[in-house]
Amino acid sequence: MTETLRQVLEGVIERLQHQVATFLPPLLAGLIIVLTAYVLALVSRWVILRIFKGLTIDKFLRQSGLAFMIDPSGRLRAARVAAEGAYWLFLLGGGLTALSIFDTDLTTQMVQGLVFLLPKLVLSGAILLAGTWLAQYFGRSALVWAVNEGIPGPRRLATLVRVLLIFVAVVVAADQLNFARSVFLAAFIMICGGLILAVSLAVGIGASQGVGRFLAEKQDRAREERPSSLWSHL
Amino acid sequence: MSLQALSPEAVKAAEFIRRADIVVGIPSYNNARTIGHVVRAVYAGLAKFFPQLTAVIVNSDGGSTDRTRDEVLSARVDDQHLLLMSTPAIAAHRLSFPYHGIPGKGSAFRLIFEIAAKLEAKVCVVVDADLRSIAPEWMDHLVRPVLFAHYDLVTPYYHRHKYDGTITNNIVYPLTRCLYGQIVRQPIGGEFAISSRLFRRYLARNDWATDVARFGIDIWMTTVALAEGFHVCQSFLGAKLHDPKDPGSDLSEMLKQVVGSVFALMIEYEAVWKATRSTKPTEIFGFQFDVGVDPVNVRSDRMIRAFRQGCIDLAEIWRMALRAETFAGVRKLGLDPPPAPFHFPDELWVNVIFDFACTYKRHPLERGHILSALTPLYLGRVASTVIEMEPFSSAEVEERIERLCLEFERLRPVLLANWDFGPDAPARQTNARDREVVRHDRDVKASA
Repeated sequence: MTETLRQVLEGVIERLQHQVATFLPPLLAGLIIVLTAYVLALVSRWVILRIFKGLTIDKFLRQSGLAFMIDPSGRLRAARVAAEGAYWLFLLGGGLTALSIFDTDLTTQMVQGLVFLLPKLVLSGAILLAGTWLAQYFGRSALVWAVNEGIPGPRRLATLVRVLLIFVAVVVAADQLNFARSVFLAAFIMICGGLILAVSLAVGIGASQGVGRFLAEKQDRAREERPSSLWSHL
Repeated sequence: MSLQALSPEAVKAAEFIRRADIVVGIPSYNNARTIGHVVRAVYAGLAKFFPQLTAVIVNSDGGSTDRTRDEVLSARVDDQHLLLMSTPAIAAHRLSFPYHGIPGKGSAFRLIFEIAAKLEAKVCVVVDADLRSIAPEWMDHLVRPVLFAHYDLVTPYYHRHKYDGTITNNIVYPLTRCLYGQIVRQPIGGEFAISSRLFRRYLARNDWATDVARFGIDIWMTTVALAEGFHVCQSFLGAKLHDPKDPGSDLSEMLKQVVGSVFALMIEYEAVWKATRSTKPTEIFGFQFDVGVDPVNVRSDRMIRAFRQGCIDLAEIWRMALRAETFAGVRKLGLDPPPAPFHFPDELWVNVIFDFACTYKRHPLERGHILSALTPLYLGRVASTVIEMEPFSSAEVEERIERLCLEFERLRPVLLANWDFGPDAPARQTNARDREVVRHDRDVKASA
């Protein structure tokens, strides 16, 4: 009995020793790599913030409206973006290197998956950013146009334009990532179809009287105004 | 200098005429009703006052579908003896061409200047095609200062109804005067005489494809002349009678083009206007007298409604375009219970214009939105002046406009301080603006 217990314990200790001998060095190495990456990330962020002023890019960010779009306070700076980018890149690189040290099937798959996904993630991010910018831009265009033309509900119209454009960007980004492609595409088609149907119904049935009144008023106004030269005086 | 706007037909006609001392340009678009009278007045004026000089009348047409061009070519002064001329009238050449390129008044002017340059004209005059008050004397008053007093640009000076020329009175005149330091009362009047030196300078510029091709042309001509040191004077022409429009009707594009040109020129001539220290008067030629003018019908209620609606709907763009205190002032005016009567203060209006100019400079990609978003504010301001000026006589209206000009000049330091924006300023600005707006909203809620 005692002998059996001793053998089991010896076996456990032996296995533990083996596992420690097998995994502790890579674990330590991984930790060291992660720590080094962390330190490098901190240093790179500090260096970029100190050296790279990003004045030209800051100007572009401000003038294009991207700065206000990403950070509504307008405090977004190119140097900060670059520094944060470098920081996270170092951390990600350190993490991946640390994982690859274990050399197991699981870690290899994880590393490969992340490496392959990264460019797509970046591209999708860029698509979303561009889509959001375009949505804001065209939303504002629709807003000022609707206000100046006296179209009812200009803010709702602007929101609709924004939502539609952001949705298009999400569909394209999801397509890039191979993520629920058919679901997004189907939803997009359904929304577009629904919109067209709603507008048709509104114009054709529901709002026919309103549209008629609106057009009649417009015609009356046009009739009231005397024909005037293109070169109207200012 | 390239002659891009001239068609082969125009070149051929110019080569046939060879030389002219005076070129009178009339831009038109469906003006068959009035252009005949304009051509006859110009023709009579040239014959009566400059019989010794060769003159050409050029109609630059924007593709009229009525009989505009036929009216130009067939207009005659039948009873020449009624002009009491001492010499027989020599017929001025008359040309009518469609212009090419961007549809607009500026493109039409470009064709006229090209022809004037080709004919080596000493002076080029432009007059609108819808004028009802033009008389032969206008030619004398416009041409003479260029030919005999060596001025480069003669701008009109005339009486207009107090509700007419609202863009001029509320924006263009005070702003131009404040920036370039010269009092030109009608900088976008529509009738100008330009020296050979100046119209060649206009043609040499490369911004013809901008708003200059449209309604921006008038202020562009005046500003270039003022900023580049050309000699500018004014000529009294009596009254300007034309087809006036309600300032509240369909003016967004016109306002956008005119104000867009003013702001674009502010960027170009930044060094010039920053160096301006004082305002000096511009000489006015001609004997001044009082005349009656056509009434202009204005619907101020509609304009106030548009302004109030803008306060609700365009807040996101105005917040970007205006400083915190200006935005708060505008919101207070638009959203608070209406004061009786509605009043848009001068100081607030000047701040609005200065803030829009600065934002126009800082956000090149948003310029279209910024200019379009000015319309409801402009309507609010016009409604306020219409209500205020209702009992005023012409002299009182002029006095009131003078007060606005002085307010522009008083607040010039605000423009100078905000024009050059440091890279860190937007954040501080936005925070302060947000705090201000939040505080204002809280106050409004509390008072309610």
